Amino acid sequence: MTNMYISIILIIAAPLIGGLLYGFERIVKARMQRRIGPPLLQPFYDFFKLADKRKMVVHSAHAFLGIMHFISLWFALAVLLLGGDLILVIFLHLLSSALLILSAYSTRSVFSHLGANRSAISILAYEPVLIIIAVSIFMLTGSFEAGAAFSSNQPLLYKMPLAFVALLLVLPIKLKKSPFDVAEAHQEVTGGVELEFSGIFYEAVYTAKWLDYVFCYTLIFLFAGSNLLLGFALSIFTFIYLNALDNSTARVNYKQMLRFSLGVSFSLAFINLLINSLS
Amino acid sequence: MNLSGYRKKSPWILHYNAGSCNGCDIEILACLGPKYDIERFGMINTGNPKQSDILLVTGPVTKRSRERLVEIYAQMPEPKVVIACGACASTGGVFRGMYNCEGGVDQYIPVDVYVCGCGTRPEQIIDGVVQGLAILEQKTKELEASVKLNNEAIEENHQVNRRHIAASIK
Amino acid sequence: MESYLSGLFFLPLLVSLLLLILPKNLVKPLVIVAAVALSAMSVIAFSNISGAQYITAPDYTNNIVFGLDVLLLCFFGWVAIQRKSLWVGILSVVQLAGLIYLFFNLSHTQSAQLMVDELSGFMFILINVISSIIAIFSLKYIEQEDCSPFRRKYFLSIIFWFIAAMNLVVSADNLEYFFLFFELTTLASYLLISFRKDEVSEKNAVTALWMNQIGGVALLSAIFYIHLNQLGDITFTNLLSNTGQQAILLPLAFISIAALIKGAQMPFSKWLLGAMVAPTPVSALLHSSTMVKIAPFVILRLSPALKDTSLSMVIIGLTAFVFVAAALGALAQDNFKRILAHSTIALLALMIMMAALGTPTTTIAALVLILFHGISKSMLFLNAGILEKVFHMKETSDMDRLSETGPFTAMVMIIGFMSLLLPPFGAFIGKWLSIETLGSFAIESKLLGALTIVAVAFGGAILTLLYFKVIGVLINRSGETDKISFEKTGMIYRATMYMLLGIITFSIFGLPWLLTQYFSPVSEATLQQAATVTSEGWNMLIGSVSLPIVPLAIAFLMLPATLLTAMFIRFKNVDRAKEYMCGEKVNYSFGSFYFSTEVATPWFYSIGIAFFLAMLMVSLL
Ligand code: SF4
Repeated sequence: MTNMYISIILIIAAPLIGGLLYGFERIVKARMQRRIGPPLLQPFYDFFKLADKRKMVVHSAHAFLGIMHFISLWFALAVLLLGGDLILVIFLHLLSSALLILSAYSTRSVFSHLGANRSAISILAYEPVLIIIAVSIFMLTGSFEAGAAFSSNQPLLYKMPLAFVALLLVLPIKLKKSPFDVAEAHQEVTGGVELEFSGIFYEAVYTAKWLDYVFCYTLIFLFAGSNLLLGFALSIFTFIYLNALDNSTARVNYKQMLRFSLGVSFSLAFINLLINSLS
Repeated sequence: MNLSGYRKKSPWILHYNAGSCNGCDIEILACLGPKYDIERFGMINTGNPKQSDILLVTGPVTKRSRERLVEIYAQMPEPKVVIACGACASTGGVFRGMYNCEGGVDQYIPVDVYVCGCGTRPEQIIDGVVQGLAILEQKTKELEASVKLNNEAIEENHQVNRRHIAASIK
Repeated sequence: MESYLSGLFFLPLLVSLLLLILPKNLVKPLVIVAAVALSAMSVIAFSNISGAQYITAPDYTNNIVFGLDVLLLCFFGWVAIQRKSLWVGILSVVQLAGLIYLFFNLSHTQSAQLMVDELSGFMFILINVISSIIAIFSLKYIEQEDCSPFRRKYFLSIIFWFIAAMNLVVSADNLEYFFLFFELTTLASYLLISFRKDEVSEKNAVTALWMNQIGGVALLSAIFYIHLNQLGDITFTNLLSNTGQQAILLPLAFISIAALIKGAQMPFSKWLLGAMVAPTPVSALLHSSTMVKIAPFVILRLSPALKDTSLSMVIIGLTAFVFVAAALGALAQDNFKRILAHSTIALLALMIMMAALGTPTTTIAALVLILFHGISKSMLFLNAGILEKVFHMKETSDMDRLSETGPFTAMVMIIGFMSLLLPPFGAFIGKWLSIETLGSFAIESKLLGALTIVAVAFGGAILTLLYFKVIGVLINRSGETDKISFEKTGMIYRATMYMLLGIITFSIFGLPWLLTQYFSPVSEATLQQAATVTSEGWNMLIGSVSLPIVPLAIAFLMLPATLLTAMFIRFKNVDRAKEYMCGEKVNYSFGSFYFSTEVATPWFYSIGIAFFLAMLMVSLL
């Protein structure tokens, strides 16, 4: 029961945690570049400022889909944190990304369309890997429930290290980090799918990004089972890895991304699946 | 709830080059680097009018760029501040009186802060932005129009249609 | 009961004849009355079926069947001469020779020729309800077609004949009869595809003909094999009662091949893709309720015998491959009908895979997929027809701003696409059940299971992407105007859309009920094994798979509600600004991402052929 309460608190606090994570990440990133970086609470300052702008949309459908992207992502996160079915979680997450993509498609904006196409391709790059990881977890725990993975005594990491590596390789795609940030690519498509949002409507998309952080780190926690210490260690490792990667690599184009993801990450996850199913 | 205090804590910047020689642009980019690091103040160079609060314009506004300038200005949600960066943007600078430009951003859009210097220094730019922030805090959310090339916004069904408030030059 | 069945068999035939004879002004009422009657009869027939029911036709029907077969094959031979198609000719001659030999050598035992069980009843509903709606739609569509008044009636007449043939196919038990009905559907599709009488139509119709005739040859081979090895009656019942014997594997393989050809699995996908040239209701008919659905039906019928055989492994491998290949093909298309066609092939592969797996859960998944795919695909194809005739659009790239000029059509199409894959409707449940059961399958049969999961995961991702790509085009609009006024498309078009929307709404809200009362008994009767659908706390158990009800229900409501609200919502006190284009004011036209699968297609076909050969090989060994 306490687990349940913890999950519910986590769910409600998810945007806060995500915001802090994002703020912290901006500092770490700046320090890696020998800058000082913004204050920790910067994301929340941005949040309040955005709420204070004059409301502006391209058309209502577009703005509405952006808001629904946020809500559906929160919902997906809630199902994950409550230990729901992984396939369902992955699907709900796909759905929320799809809503954002749809919102971009719904405008007649060139950059939005470019960004949407690229986001769609990146979904293609990470979604199969996630499903394979879910199936591997199923083979080990006998259940698709995330709860089974959270409560397993032996951390899944020891049984499926390759899948963890595969996850690490697709996380940058999901979080839109360099080298796999074609979907956002501020210098090329000025933010892609999020370009046309402004003010309070952009807020939804902005906070959804924070939720995405929480979502990804929860996926990392899946690998630690009931061993919380290991979970934190893995998350810290992932955090440093992601930022170091983001700072030290240049963007690749979407074809290279797809090729890498399906060639390397996907094969790793698949080999892991085979090993799991054979042993 | 009064949120206007947060405006100066997270000013997002849009930088537009209206025909500058690139000198001022490089200085603006220098602000982003480790030495001046304006991200300390929560500033981000967004490159996207819809999410920006401050429009940094460089260059004397050439005839090719003026329509775009007004269009971009019209796409920024209020409250917003325009900062003319460099001698060109303020008055036309070395390009003043040339056949292809009209000298000064304020010919087209209302400018709040003028930053001088042919090749403004990053310190000056930061100073200008800080002054701009003080103005930003005072501003209301009223619709702001450009000086020239302006159409009236149409209000229909409780929605203001500002798609065409940036008129084109005939 | 019998009267309903004979009604289902003979009413469409009668209507088909009457349509040719009756004057023009009687056509409309006749079609509508027949459509209503057929749908009602199919539902009543389904609710009255309990257990397999054998119907023995009188002796002389054997001769009639033989006579019709010969006539049919002679017609095909004539087509071969006329179109100078060597393939059609050879295949017809081979079949004719085989048939004559069989007629004189086969002892016509008094076993039943027709067998109707829950599975047939399930198919009756799909065939009659959906095809009836398509027939009503065709009334208007064919009016706008450029052809003579007689040909219009002729078109409708073939549709009804098709329905009759399909009703017969799903209730045949005797393979000889099955062969005839099978060929009858081939004939109907040939006539429909060549309806427009231009060169491309004729060419594609002939392709469809010879490909499907290979299926006929395969069926005859199955009959021959059973006859020569004296395996007993040439009926499905007999085959199923010999489950587990090595000897029946080869005839099973032959029948499966025939089915897979009808189901347009690679390399035989070409005939279905070529069928695009026909008037759009034909595509709707072929893709949703008739023709291609023979494939999953037959595999379901055979699934108790197929289960856990090497043959079923090959079928699963083939369909897993086709699922991905066809999904990729779909993503590469711009033409709307082609997108739909490729995705049909992909989803058919998924259905057949589910059917071949043969566990209670997968059988339910297959049934759910068959039904919902039928509804959604017919809806989408009918809309393709409306787009073609009312809006004059064929490519998806022309369709942007459809939500301004034709919001109703756009809305219906969005619903159709959502229902193909996403949770509000059944197809997502189908996909999900498949992934979850494949998980357990993979525990049993390692490598193949793992590969299949990969295929399903990957193909599913591609298809999702595809549908969102198209939905994206459909909700595209400029912020120029905010008003929405539904377009006028015509009474019949509108009415058919409302019917399909009604069916879909019914299925959303009735899904729990449908699962327990409709899908589960059918799967139980098919497998002779209980498929339990129960609820346990917050979970719904389907066989071994549990579905969490609450999140599913929320997701159920969220997606359609979001997209539909998005179409109609208008925020107050909000400015509308122009799209950001670096300050430019140019109007752009939008495409989507495209790539070509042309280079890969021959490879796909070769792999498909290899799988088909493997089917024969593993059953020979
Ligand atoms: S002010 Fe001087 S440095 Fe700046 S753009 Fe003009 S000419 Fe270049």
